[in-house]
Amino acid sequence: MWEYIAKRLAMVSVVIAGVTLVAFSAMYLAPGDPAEVIALARYGEDLSASQVETLREAEGLDAPVHVQYLIWLGHLLRLDLGKSLVTSEDVLTEILQKLPATAELAVASLLISLMIALPAGVLSALRKNTLLDSGCMFVSLLGVSIPNFWLGLLLIWFFALTLHMFPSFGYGSLKHFVLPALTLGTSLAAVTARLTRASLLEVMGQEYIVAARARGFDERTVLFRHALKNALLPVVTFAGMQFGYLLGGAVVVETIFSWPGIGKLLVDSIFAMDFSMVQGCVFFIAVLFSLSSLVVDLLYAVLDPRIRYDRHD
Amino acid sequence: MNRNFKFILTICMLLAVIGASACIGEEKEGTAKGTGSGESSQELVVGISTDVSSWYLDTFAAGDARFVWSQVYETLVRLDSDLKIIPGLAESWETPDNGKTWVFHLRENVTFHDGTPFDADSVVFSYSNQSYVRQAVLKPVQSVEALDNHTVKFVLAKPMPLPYYLTHVAWPVMGPGCLDAEGDFVKPVGTGPFRFEGQTKDQEVVLTRNDAYWGDKSLLDKVTFKVIPEATTRVIALETGEVDMIIKVPEYDVQRLEAEEGIQVHRKLTTFTDFLQFNCDSSPFNDTRVRQSVAYAVDTEALVNEVLEGIGEPAGGRPYSPVMMYSDPDLKTYTQDLGKARSLLEEAGWKDSDGDGIRDKDGKPLKTTLIVSKGVWAVRHNPMAQVVQGTLREIGMDIEIQVLDEGAINKLESTGDFGMILRSGYFVWGPYPKHFFVHHSANPYSHYHNETYDQLVNAADMTIDAQEQEELYHSLQAFVIEEVPAFYLVHEEKVVATCPSVKGYTISSEDPWLNLSGVYLERK
Repeated sequence: MWEYIAKRLAMVSVVIAGVTLVAFSAMYLAPGDPAEVIALARYGEDLSASQVETLREAEGLDAPVHVQYLIWLGHLLRLDLGKSLVTSEDVLTEILQKLPATAELAVASLLISLMIALPAGVLSALRKNTLLDSGCMFVSLLGVSIPNFWLGLLLIWFFALTLHMFPSFGYGSLKHFVLPALTLGTSLAAVTARLTRASLLEVMGQEYIVAARARGFDERTVLFRHALKNALLPVVTFAGMQFGYLLGGAVVVETIFSWPGIGKLLVDSIFAMDFSMVQGCVFFIAVLFSLSSLVVDLLYAVLDPRIRYDRHD
Repeated sequence: MNRNFKFILTICMLLAVIGASACIGEEKEGTAKGTGSGESSQELVVGISTDVSSWYLDTFAAGDARFVWSQVYETLVRLDSDLKIIPGLAESWETPDNGKTWVFHLRENVTFHDGTPFDADSVVFSYSNQSYVRQAVLKPVQSVEALDNHTVKFVLAKPMPLPYYLTHVAWPVMGPGCLDAEGDFVKPVGTGPFRFEGQTKDQEVVLTRNDAYWGDKSLLDKVTFKVIPEATTRVIALETGEVDMIIKVPEYDVQRLEAEEGIQVHRKLTTFTDFLQFNCDSSPFNDTRVRQSVAYAVDTEALVNEVLEGIGEPAGGRPYSPVMMYSDPDLKTYTQDLGKARSLLEEAGWKDSDGDGIRDKDGKPLKTTLIVSKGVWAVRHNPMAQVVQGTLREIGMDIEIQVLDEGAINKLESTGDFGMILRSGYFVWGPYPKHFFVHHSANPYSHYHNETYDQLVNAADMTIDAQEQEELYHSLQAFVIEEVPAFYLVHEEKVVATCPSVKGYTISSEDPWLNLSGVYLERK
């Protein structure tokens, strides 16, 4: 088991190196001269060529790309993510400030998505091809099709403005979580519901289910004791992936609800050509995503005794 | 009862508890504020679109930061709500040598928020060599020195109407107490009616009243600026009562808010103007007639009435807002004349030889690009660009719209690979028409090179004689109308919306400045 984890962690490092390299190159290839864009942000419109050049040298933007990347990597190994090119603040501090908000929203959204999707998926599978089934699947299709932007504003208009039940923006109390988590959760729920339904249907057709029924167990025991646990395996994997994705921050929701998360930080940094911040964010998100997928894989072993990592095949 | 059933029951009860607590919590707090949180609660909440990322004089305060700066910091020279120059932290000023040297007499008995006295040394500190303003804006300033405790002398390399430049809140006076012993910035120290209390990054900035303020003390105890990047959410937050005031209301919400009972919508023409900057260095806009044909084709009145719902004033080519200095009331602006536009193109040699609706010359079609930025003003620029595109199609010009971020636009500008850029503002600092510098050859972002124009701009900026300045700026306005280095579309109208509790607010033309003097709250 520990050998497995060690191997996975080594792979994670390789993945992260690859991801950050690609992000670095993408920023470099993007149109626009980073030194100029940053100088414009710092010094306003009345810019002179010498100011741009001074900035370029000061921030090391005149070195060739691969050299810049290696320098960045060197700093990383010392756990130094550098300073933002735009605000001169410590990248690591800023990301860590935003991380709790993103993580909390990710957890809340995932919870809501599961609370909607699991019952919906299970009911649809059990009452296959009835009105309930079609209904649930139609609603899930809606959930996938409705853009976050529209849904978010609609929820704000209805729940905040018309009903005065929840605040329309901000971060701070439990109430602030509801609308953003609902917005994110409903679109995730759609896919999860379908997956649950398909997975449960497949499991219900297995031989051991038939055997369980033959042994005289009632439907409820068959469902909860035998079928559900196995049906949930792909769902768990998927939910884990979704969680990793959510940790990358949901820019649209963060913008609409004024949620101080990593997603908006990353997008704003890309537009501002803030190389250090972009690299820092990408690195963090890659780490979180890889770790969450590792946790999911380990969870799999807990849920399914057939999968154990210390078997030497 | 098997344990799975109990498990599900627990989950349901948990959900019910969460739901209930949400509702109960709501009753306890009330909707934000305003429901009986004290009759004399003078705490204003303002919604802005970006956070204040910098408080120090080494960078330009971008986005909505200046609205917050204008509560904490002040300038030597101020403007009233109609853009007339009035004394600020300097009571008077003179220039003994026609503009090369300026002496400012500072107001006495003023203290910074940290208790240190406001004096000439703090002015020297605020306008030091390292400051953004010296490096970017006031490059001709050679030295700033304190003659005595309350007198400061600015020496310039060439004559310049310096006081007009000193009104902008982006380069205010800051107290040296904002730095610690090592010279690192600690917290904002200004002289303004409010002092900095605290900031939660990307969420809010809290200011409290400065009881030692030299002028009329504010009636408000506290001002909180909440950061809400999405415009629609800001408007809804005003309607729910979560914020008391919002700045920059989107055009499509103005009518709805005006109709809503209690909400007051304040409108005033500001100093910003949207314009189409031509690339005069290459075809087709290197030909003045082609530029003029665009000026005759685009109907700026329709732009304001249809696209902007009547918010703003059609410019018809007028190079800057009529509320600013030296605006020529008799200036002949453009009105739409498609016939004239077409004949100008014909004259310039662009004829539709193949009948496809697009003119051509020497085998090349009249096709070019219109660039729109993704920035803060992009919301109204997008539909405006589309209208321009449609109109120009009618006279036989094929326009491709490109919506890009600043980095990409920069790239295209440096290679000259564009036709027109739709922009706003640029060199707009208070009432002074510095904006003409945009088309000066010395400006790296100018795409127009004309010696006469350069000479006019230089002359106008080097004299301090009001009469002479007026003549020169009138000539410049006429020049821009005639030669059209850029076609000016709309004079922006600032829209601020307040909830019923906000009283005493006077909207100012100055942008970006938030005038909170005299504002108080009457909560019911």
